[in-house]
Amino acid sequence: MMETLLLAIVAAPGVTCLALSLAWLAGWTPSERFVGRLTAAVFGLMAAGVIWLGWLMIASGTPSVRVSLGEWFRAGNYYFPLAMLADRLSMPMVAMTVALAGIAGSFSVRYVHRDQGFFRFFLLLHLFAFGALTAFTAGSFDVLIGGWELVGVTSVLLIAFFGERPEPARNAVRVFANYRIADVGLLLASFVLHHSGSTLFTPMLPGEWPDQTSRLAGPEVLLAGFLLLIAASGKSAQGPFAGWLPRAMEGPTPSSSIFYGAVSIHLGAYLLLRFEPVIQAEPVVAVATVATGLLTAFMATVANRVATDVKTSLAFASMTQLGIIFAEIGMGFPRFALLHIVGHAVVRTLQLLRAPSTLHDYHRMHAAAGGELGQTDTLLAALPTGLRLWLYRFGLERGFHDAWLDRLVVLPVMRLARVLGRAPIGPGRKA
Amino acid sequence: MFRLDSLALVSMGSFALLWAVTVAAAPRRDREGPGRWELICLLAGTLLAYAAAELPAFLVGWTLTVLPYWRGGQRVPRLAMAAGTAILALGCLLTTLPNAAVYAPVTFGAFVLAVLLRKGIFPAHFWTLDAFEHLRLPALGLFLNSHLGGYLLIRFAIPQFPGLAAEWLPDVSMLALVTSVFMAVAGLAVTQPRRVLGLLWISQGSFILAGLATNTQEGITGALLHWWVVAFATTGMISVYRSLEARTTSVRSQGGFHGLGAHAPRLAVFFAVCGLGLVGLPGTLGFVAEDLLFHGALEAHPLLGVALPLATALNAITVLRLFVTLFMGKRAIHVPAIPDALPAERVAFTVVVLLLVFGGLAPAVLVALRTPSAEGLARLLAGS
Repeated sequence: MMETLLLAIVAAPGVTCLALSLAWLAGWTPSERFVGRLTAAVFGLMAAGVIWLGWLMIASGTPSVRVSLGEWFRAGNYYFPLAMLADRLSMPMVAMTVALAGIAGSFSVRYVHRDQGFFRFFLLLHLFAFGALTAFTAGSFDVLIGGWELVGVTSVLLIAFFGERPEPARNAVRVFANYRIADVGLLLASFVLHHSGSTLFTPMLPGEWPDQTSRLAGPEVLLAGFLLLIAASGKSAQGPFAGWLPRAMEGPTPSSSIFYGAVSIHLGAYLLLRFEPVIQAEPVVAVATVATGLLTAFMATVANRVATDVKTSLAFASMTQLGIIFAEIGMGFPRFALLHIVGHAVVRTLQLLRAPSTLHDYHRMHAAAGGELGQTDTLLAALPTGLRLWLYRFGLERGFHDAWLDRLVVLPVMRLARVLGRAPIGPGRKA
Repeated sequence: MFRLDSLALVSMGSFALLWAVTVAAAPRRDREGPGRWELICLLAGTLLAYAAAELPAFLVGWTLTVLPYWRGGQRVPRLAMAAGTAILALGCLLTTLPNAAVYAPVTFGAFVLAVLLRKGIFPAHFWTLDAFEHLRLPALGLFLNSHLGGYLLIRFAIPQFPGLAAEWLPDVSMLALVTSVFMAVAGLAVTQPRRVLGLLWISQGSFILAGLATNTQEGITGALLHWWVVAFATTGMISVYRSLEARTTSVRSQGGFHGLGAHAPRLAVFFAVCGLGLVGLPGTLGFVAEDLLFHGALEAHPLLGVALPLATALNAITVLRLFVTLFMGKRAIHVPAIPDALPAERVAFTVVVLLLVFGGLAPAVLVALRTPSAEGLARLLAGS
């Protein structure tokens, strides 16, 4: 029963997306009302399913539901195991995804009303929900990669949602480049895990979360740990991959809320939590995780204070919290990190959904406080002027992150590409 | 003279489907006049080559596919195709000599050279790019996606010279790897859509050679599946692009955004699915093929295994860049509003998309179709 319920929850948005796509290809474009009601019904049923599954698990004292669907395909000694896992780590993430994606969907019915991309938005929302749920309930690393990549692609396509302007299109390409480069780490980690035995989580990470252990041993732990950290940093905009998050805010606000406030941005942290025994098994990896998180948190919190628009400010705020979550995972506090993820996702989704009404909210707060809102950043005001000015510039330049990345990576690669492609160098070549 | 086993039948079936899709989606100007003869020669030649049991019959098929380009085509592609055919003919001739075993390395070398030329492997990539820029795209897509070079290796070169194949293929694979990364990096800066399509085809097509040389069953199965992925995904992309070209010549201009997605959303979706399928989007056959390829490659050569995901990542960026260039932004004021996919195009592209998607959702059937050939090749390479 629990297995069927889990399968149905994950499959529902995927089937909806596939059915709507086929109908559209056949020439039928459903009305906004139909799409809105269908989305509400699907997410309503999914929410009921999650509550039911959670209740069944608690009532029967089952710490985890493990579903084995056999092999997806096999060639020689290699096979792709299809397995699902809902445990104390997965279930909060699944519940969070269903609830917040449902709310964002309901909000979007009005937000993208009469937009020419209305239907496309909802198709991508369903595909995203399917990808996220697949990743969170994956019982093997291979399945997790599938969900992970779907989340990345839908995220990029929604950043380019308002594609009639060139900036969203350019930013979508930049974000996609970040994702794809970081995902190389995920693919290589997959090979390391295959090499050390099965990629199924049950034999690889025996026990129940958060008291799992790791069967990986030797240099593979170090290698897998670092590769997972690279992949997680890419998805959660940490360390060298921090620059993409403000660019991702070009998409519609409801998709920004669900992707960069709630679900997609936390997928990297989820990966580290799932492999927490591997991270903790190598002190170097644990220290690198903490350092990556804290450095990003510092850069992002400074940039947040000088951001001039509300969505960019919230993007840096998300990045700051993700940095702290990475540090918590590296320091070995997985329960606390999970709590932090869920709390952050809920608050940030609310903030992002309210972002278009920021001025209105501010005026209401101002009036409610009798026209006297408290002074902020008194701590920064106490710093020496030189340091404050440097921090101001550091924030404005977003920690000089993009400048360094462009100088050290993007420009040399593009120069090489132009030489190899015999493409003339000139204005208007970047896209 | 003919050998209709599972390899031949599967290849013939998939090519016939590819041909039908291409013809259905091709603009009338590419189906009529000289274009018609190109398409007929390509179909007849490729099917003959696939069905051939002996090298001479294969050579006849190969030559038939090259024939339409002999007159009137661009000089560089024409010379490269002729050189490839001549080298293959030399190889065939050497196999008929009384003391053929003495010339085995030369014969195998001739086959490998013909394969490298046909597939546009570095440094022979220049002709492919030239062809993409100047030749009729639907027929060129069919010519390249027949993958007769790969077929020559699988059907004749490896079975006849397994020892030499085991010895030489790692080097061939390394060359394919260099080509793949080279083209993937070059694709990041190129703005002419036809050239970008050419770079993507060469880079992703090189994976097939790299996979064949992995010497592992998963790697070879992945390479054979990737053959289909490259064939169908690039056919979809090329056909959609050609449909756009037939509607407005503005797409040939470099730089900027063409903004055609607003008027042709279905063409945009077909292009996106084919492009993302080509670079391994989960839920498409590309994901399955690349999963097998990467694992096979990493087992065989760690360097190969690291470079392939990197090349795929760069190609994915190029695919998205091409997509946004063609379909996003605002349509220029002098560009007329274009119609979306016409009924014949819609049917043809839907077939490609369904094949890629359902092949990705239920890949076991397609993997099973490729397994006997992969097992045979792995045995041949291991047994030598």
